[in-house]
Amino acid sequence: MTSSATNPLDPGQVRRQTYLALFTALAITVHTLEVLLPSPVPWFRLGLANVLTVVILFLYDSRAAWSLTLMRIGLGALLLGRLFSPGFWLSLAGGILATLLMCLARRHCGPLFSPVGISVIGATGHAVGQFLVAWAIVIQHEAIWKIFPIFLFTSVAAGLLTGWMAAVLLNYLMAHPVFSSKTNG
Amino acid sequence: MKPPWKFLTLADQLLIACLALLGVLGLAWSLSAPRGQRVMVSVSDRLVYLGSLDKEDMVELSGPVGKTVLTVDHQGARITAAPCPLKVCMTMGPAVQQGDILACVPNRVLVEIEGGASQPADYDLLSH
Repeated sequence: MTSSATNPLDPGQVRRQTYLALFTALAITVHTLEVLLPSPVPWFRLGLANVLTVVILFLYDSRAAWSLTLMRIGLGALLLGRLFSPGFWLSLAGGILATLLMCLARRHCGPLFSPVGISVIGATGHAVGQFLVAWAIVIQHEAIWKIFPIFLFTSVAAGLLTGWMAAVLLNYLMAHPVFSSKTNG
Repeated sequence: MKPPWKFLTLADQLLIACLALLGVLGLAWSLSAPRGQRVMVSVSDRLVYLGSLDKEDMVELSGPVGKTVLTVDHQGARITAAPCPLKVCMTMGPAVQQGDILACVPNRVLVEIEGGASQPADYDLLSH
């Protein structure tokens, strides 16, 4: 990315945009690959893209996390040809609630939670968001809450795993000169 | 590389413990439901089948996408064939408890297990 003389941009801003674009591209790639790979349980996915959301939330701020999530879901659905399908709405609801809770926790509880904790919060939000929309538009039967506990367990386990990956990745990134000058938040 | 638990703060641990407890309680609640009696199937919100859970049966259900096959046997009710690409409904069964559901979303099929003997009607009226 270049900044022209007629449109002078703050180098920090340009750097932020560049990294955000890079992270978004990575998140879409990871998300798409994960959807396309066969899974033993069709509804279960690890949510590897969440690693990148957590990392960007710690490196930058809520705005960056929101744009990463929304771009990932929108463009990912476009690539997979499932824009506005039931799966898309589930994904969007899960993504929105997950990002909302992670941003709130990060903003108001700051250092209390590690990336692993934030990721678990996000995973729980994702499960709840998906169930709310599934209940509202897809199945419309309160009995779907019977399978919620199992869903919650797998989500928390996935959140722990992706959170750990995010924590490891953050450790490496924070040591890099590009990010080491930045403080958290 | 640091092992996962090295990253956890106290708040993380509390959060995970709370969620695990919530999950266990929820699981206990959902497993405590009594065995159901009837199998009720609707396609596109229209009731198309009503049968006993104790009677073995196999039904073909036509939905918007194709044929979904429901099998009722000693294990309970389960979907044994589905026209959709993901076949999520086939991994949901067998359903035996009151309140269990099997849903095939693309084909608009909803299988519900209903309780029968809710209250044994031994008395019409009790007076003292």
